Order: sequence, then C-alpha cells, then structure tokens
Amino acid sequence: MLSKLLWPVLFLGMLAGCQQQDNSLGETTSSIIDGRKIYRHSEDGKPTSLDPIKASTVYSNMMAVNIFDTLYAYKYLQRPYELKPNLAADFPQVSDDGLVYTIQLKPGNSFTDHPAFKDGIGRNVTASDFVYSILRSFDPLNGGTGAWLWQGKIVGIDEWKTNGANYDQPPSGLLAVDDLTIRITLTQPYPQLVYTLAMGFSGITPREVVETLGQEFGSRPIGSGPFVLDSFDADVAYLSKNPGYRQETLDIYAEGYLPERHAGLGLESLHGKTPPFIDQLEVHFIKENASRWNSFTKGNEIQYTTVPKDKQNTVLVSADPITLHPLIEDNYHSSYGMEAGFVYHGFNMLDPVFGQTGDPQHDARSKALRCAIRKAHNWDQKNRAFYFGLGSVFPGIIPPSVPEFNAELSMESVSLDIPGALDLLAEHNWNDQNLPDFEYHVTGSVLQKQFFEQMRGFLNKINYPTNKIKYQPYPSFGNFNKAVKNRQAPFFFMAWTLDYPDAENTLQLFYGPNQTPGSNNFNYQNPEFDQLYEASSVMLPSPERTALYQQMNQMVIDDCVVISGLSRKKINLWHKNVITYPDREIVGGYHLKYVDVK
Amino acid sequence: MLSYSSSTNSLWAMAWHQLKKDRAGIAGLVIVMLFLFISTGVWLGLWGNGWSDTSAQFNAHPSTSHWFGTNAIGQDIAARGIYATKVAFEVGLLVTLASLLLGLIAGTLSGFKANSKTDSLILWVMGVLDSIPFYLFVAAVAYALKQHLFAMHLAMIAVFWTSIARVIRSEVIRIKNMEYVEAGEAIGLSHFKIVLNHIIPNTTHLLLVQGTLIFVSAIKTEVILSFLGLGIKEGISWGLMIAESTQDIQAGHFANFITASGLLFLLVMGFNLLSDALQDALDPKSIGKS
Repeated sequence: MLSKLLWPVLFLGMLAGCQQQDNSLGETTSSIIDGRKIYRHSEDGKPTSLDPIKASTVYSNMMAVNIFDTLYAYKYLQRPYELKPNLAADFPQVSDDGLVYTIQLKPGNSFTDHPAFKDGIGRNVTASDFVYSILRSFDPLNGGTGAWLWQGKIVGIDEWKTNGANYDQPPSGLLAVDDLTIRITLTQPYPQLVYTLAMGFSGITPREVVETLGQEFGSRPIGSGPFVLDSFDADVAYLSKNPGYRQETLDIYAEGYLPERHAGLGLESLHGKTPPFIDQLEVHFIKENASRWNSFTKGNEIQYTTVPKDKQNTVLVSADPITLHPLIEDNYHSSYGMEAGFVYHGFNMLDPVFGQTGDPQHDARSKALRCAIRKAHNWDQKNRAFYFGLGSVFPGIIPPSVPEFNAELSMESVSLDIPGALDLLAEHNWNDQNLPDFEYHVTGSVLQKQFFEQMRGFLNKINYPTNKIKYQPYPSFGNFNKAVKNRQAPFFFMAWTLDYPDAENTLQLFYGPNQTPGSNNFNYQNPEFDQLYEASSVMLPSPERTALYQQMNQMVIDDCVVISGLSRKKINLWHKNVITYPDREIVGGYHLKYVDVK
Repeated sequence: MLSYSSSTNSLWAMAWHQLKKDRAGIAGLVIVMLFLFISTGVWLGLWGNGWSDTSAQFNAHPSTSHWFGTNAIGQDIAARGIYATKVAFEVGLLVTLASLLLGLIAGTLSGFKANSKTDSLILWVMGVLDSIPFYLFVAAVAYALKQHLFAMHLAMIAVFWTSIARVIRSEVIRIKNMEYVEAGEAIGLSHFKIVLNHIIPNTTHLLLVQGTLIFVSAIKTEVILSFLGLGIKEGISWGLMIAESTQDIQAGHFANFITASGLLFLLVMGFNLLSDALQDALDPKSIGKS
C-alpha cells in the first residue's frame, strides 16, 4: 500500500519543479473574410445596458460612444487627453460670465434606420434630440445613472424633474434654438461641462425609437454613431459599420500623432482616410483572465487584450523599464499607459473611533492613529505584490493622469516609516492593549483577502495585535458599496476612475456636502476645504485654480483621511494585423472607429 | 452486566488485534497521529506561528528558511500549511462531535420509538435534508449564515447528522429486540436507563467508524467551502490556500497548490485507510473469521 502512495507523492514532487512558462502562441490568421474587414475586440467585463443614460461603467461607456454620437470626443492619440468637436461643429461659444454655452451641430447627420422613423429611414439628428437625451437622465422613470453630471448646474433642470418630466416643455436652461443650435444656461460657471458632453451619458438618442422600444432600448439601441448594433448578449456584441456615418477624413497629426511614440504601428497608413475602416466590430466580454488570454494567443479569435495580472511575468522581462518578452514583441503590438485613476484606502471620518467627533483630545488621538497606519503602509510591497511593480505611487489625491498633478510634492505620506508610526502611537498613548479593533471592509474575493492579509502584515509591524485586525468581506461590490454609503465601514479599499481629466473629479470626493450617500465616502468635513472647492469649481483651468487644487490636496494629506495612492499601469497587446492605438481610459471607446485590419 | 462488560472488552481487544494485522490501517493510524501531533503543536504555539507574517520575498522558491517557498505576498507557505492543519482538525472535531451527538440522539429516539409518530417525523426530516443536493445545501446554509462565526460548521452539522442517525436507528431497532433489553424491561428499568446503559454503549463501534468518515468529509467540505469563499474567515485553511493558488498557477507558481493539496491528500488518505481498517476490525463477522 505504501509503495502505491509513493508514486502520487513523487508525481506531485515533479509537478513542483514545473516552472516552465507557456509562451506558445497560435498563428495569426487574416482578419479579412470575403472582402469584409472584421476586428475582434475584447473587454474584461460586460455592459449591463447599452442605453447611454446607464453608461456608468467603462464597458457600457465604450459601447455607448460607438453606437451613439456625442457632441465632443477625445483626440485619438493626444496625451495628455484633449477634447475635439465630434458632432458639434466647433467648441462652444461661452458668454463672458461663463453661464451660457451655445453649440452648433454639424449638419447632415442622421440616425440609422428603424421602423419607428417615418418610412423606416433614419432622420437627421437635431438639437432637440440632444435636449431630449440629456433630459432622459432626469426622468425618474428611466433609472439613469448620469444625472449627477448636470444636477443643480443647468437652469431649471431639477425643477423639470419634480414638475413631471414633460419632454415637450424643456427647462429654460436647456434649449434647442433651432435644428442645429443648442443653448445651455448654467446656474453657475461649470468649466467641466464640455468634458461631460464627451461622455457616454450624453449620447444622442432618437425620441421616437426610445418611446417605441421602451426598456428594450437598452438592448436594441439606435443611434448615429460609427457603428450599428446587430446583436448583443452577455458574451459578445456584433456591430456593423454605419454606412451613413459622416464623411470626415482622419488627420493623424491633428489627432496627436508623434513618431517617437506611434511609429511602427501602421497608423500612418490611415492618414487621409475616412473612418470607420472596418466592416464588422465584435466586442467579446471575457471576464476570466485565462480564457481571454487563451483566446488572444490562439491567433484566430480575439485580437486585443489587456495583460492580466497572472500573465504579467509571462509577458514582461522587466518592469522598470518595461521590457516585453521577445516572443511577445515578435508577435504582437503593444502599448502601456497609466490608468486615469488610482487605488486607495480610506477612513470614514464619522466613525466614532477612527474619525472625528469634535472632541479635540479624541480627534488628536484618532488622527495620530490614522497617520500611524498610513506610515505603516508599505506602498512598495503592495506595488510589487499586486501590480508587478508597474504602478506609480503618488502622494495625495491628484493622480499623475491629470494636468494638475504636482510631481514635486513631498513623498512623505506614501513612504514607509515604522519608527515614525511607533513614535506617533506612543506620543498619543496608543498601545497594543488600547488599540481599537481594525475592521477591513472589502468585497470578498481571494485577491481582496490577500490585500487584507498584506495590510495585516503591515499593521503587525507597528505592534497592532493580529486578533484586533478583522476581515469584513461582502458578497458583492453592491453590498460593500452599500455598507460604505451607510457609514458602516471605518476603513475600506477602493479604486476611483476619473470621468474627465480634471482633478476636480477627485477633489469632489472630499467635498463636505457630497458626504454619503453622495460621493464623499470618507465623510470628510473641512469648512476650509469646502470653501476652496467652491471657489475653484467655477474657475477655468489656470495656475490660480491649480494652486487651490494643491492646497486642498495638502489638507487631505495632512488630515490623514486617506492612504493614497497608486495609479496602475495597463499593458495593451494586439495582433500585428490590426492597426490601432487602444486606450480605454478617459478616451473610452472612441478609438474603435479608427481601427483597421489587414 | 458483567457478561456484557466482559464481552465488550473482548470485542475491543479482538478489534485491536485485528487492526494491528492490517498494515494499511496502521499506516493510516500513523498518518492521522502525525497530523494530530502537528495540530497539537500549533495549538500549543510550538510551530506555525508565523503563518500571517508578510515579507518582501514574493513567490520565493523553497529554501531552508522557507521549506515550501513563499506566496504572492511573501508569506511562508510551510507555516501556513502547518497552521491550516490545526484549522482542519478543529473543523473536523467540532463537526464530527456535534454530528455524532445529534445523530446519536435522533437515531436512538427514532429506533427506540420505531413506527411511532416520533419515528415518522424524524425520518421525514432526514428524508427532506437528504433530498437536497449536498454541496448546494451546505453552500446555501453557509451563505445564509455568512456573518456567523460558525456558519460553515452549522451547515455541515445540519447535513452530516442524518447518515449517522440512520445507521444508529437500524442498530437500535436490532438491539432493542435482544433478550437482555427485554430482561431489563421485565425487571422494571426505565426506558431512559435501558437506552443509556444498555443500548447506546453497544453502538459505540458504529459511532467510531462513522466518526472517522464524518471527520474526513468535514475536512474535505471545509476545503471546498473555503475555496468558494464560504468557509474560514479568520486564519488560513488548505481551501483558502488552494483558492489563492488559482492565481499563482496561471503565473507558474505551484507551491501553494501542491502544499495545501498534498497535506489534504495525505490526511484524507490516512483517515480513509484508518476508517476502512476500523470497519473491518469492528465488524463482528470479520472478527469471528479471525
């Protein structure tokens, strides 16, 4: 019997020695079938709806901007991100007081055909369609998730909602002056308005089709974007080129082409041509990393993927500088860029232990505790363990992806300082006996458990007793988010993805009136911060506004509200028979209309 | 009573004699004792204490300082595997003892009151519980009681007691018709005393065998539930280690998986060998043959 046991044990022992990486790659096949150009894209998640008013995830947003038109879009290759007119003829004319925006539409754009239109033929897109599309987000019957972008900012729009949401009587602040002219009147200057008009939420929808399809519009959308949806399910969306899409040639130089960054990808061949260049677009939603990777490397399936975490050591030879494995270099094109967002740990400032109560003695001790925890946090280890060392650690809440980022800011708040943490605890009479229970709230998963275990390891270094560090998992992100919004999580780990390239988008997370259930999950209340935020929110980009942003950033750092942050770096790979420069961050899915295959 | 006691001693002595001749059974016993020794050492704080310590050595290869290497956040895999032995024994023991107790009470009551309404009710409850797919039921109970510290244990106990109760019920029905029980009734002993002193002691050999089977099932189920995120919350278990390894394997790191599944394999194999041997040793027919 024992001899029978020996062989399985030996077999397991041999398996232990297997460290060989599977770098076998399938041969790439042509993507032109019967003269039709087909591009097979992939995403690591799926959209829950294709209705633009529900485009709150990167997946929904990506689909929305390809099926619907938006007034503005981001330049294909320009970094930092830069807006350009899309359906709008030009940038808006803004009144001197910054309150009235007048936008002209390009003429001759039409929706794709649908039986709801007269004779079933798509009619022209008008300014009224834009007004209707924005108002849909405020209609209580629609369940839109993007109203926050314009709530309280457009004159009369909140009253329009409470007065019965009558589309035939739009608010005075959102008017179609004529078929091609839109006038938006604001309650106060809102410099970020134009950014919001480049988001999927502002996709333009035809009223008659929406009213005909009702809830089905979310799965059978009709727009005027570069692609027309043929079919859509949980696994894949099939789209065809919109034959009626406006004829505009691509000027790669105006789009931000730089030879040192973009040469060798074939983008030059697109110059002067009219997008979209492909006849069929397939978007495969493959959440499982191994499946997505296998499909990508097979050669005749998906043609684009981001590199999953567990494949990074297969793909990378070194992280700094980023060097790809020669086999990967030979077979695929690649790009890598920093995410427009960051990951962070946050404290609930209304928590009776870790937050502020108004009692100066308590608040001083709790601040010392928060700061000590931040000093114990080892960003370098986190970066190497979970992000393959590719992440960029930065101090505060203004990430490197926005123009207001300050590269000169002190790194002290993101530097490991165990002696400093221990001193701080001792100074404020914290010891292993009186340290409070530390609850780590997070969505339950193996990966998140490892995040927790690493955090526990960090806290152990400042003598935080293991039995006082508790893991609080939630079955889904929805449950976790609900707990955060209900102020039940004293400490949480989250990520933030920017909606537009302006630090205001992260600073609003700390604005007092935005406290939970609003976006201020930290429930941070600082009158001085709020005053600066209110002053800066009506300012156009300028050194003065940036200075105010920096002051707010420093306040959040000084108060130890957050342990932040790290911007992750994504590696994109695509087959060499595809001409593209993918970026799903701020740009969303706008790049897909410029994809070509050979 | 004297003759009963003497026959019991004889039964256990013969069973031990039989067990000693079963080399596979002894191997199983040695493995189980080895794991029990490891588990006791962890419980006493002699080893496995550094299971939660993190370091900067991620996915390190086996070395003298880290026998089985380290995982993705620099934790010592050997220490985690050893510490998880204690967790496995804790779960196994708790679930086994509770299931045995519940199964013994229900089975005895059902068997002693065979064909009564009480018997029908207990059989109906067991029938209902057994009709639900095992892992689906355990996962559902564990999920429903997720905030409870012993959710997983309760889920397993809710399922495991029925098989014990069925075995005990049939044995009790057999025993209660034996002459010495009838004699007890004739001299006016209460039912409670008869059950406690004359019936339950004669089911101990069955409880022992069932206990070993439940123990193994509990450990395996804990691993599966922990793998699914419904098991151990604090501490570490082989199931959690295997769940962690699903990410490691894609990246070419097998140590977590091999350590956890290897330890699980050894313990389950040991218990299976021991259980088979005990079944043979305590089977009156095989004792008679020897």
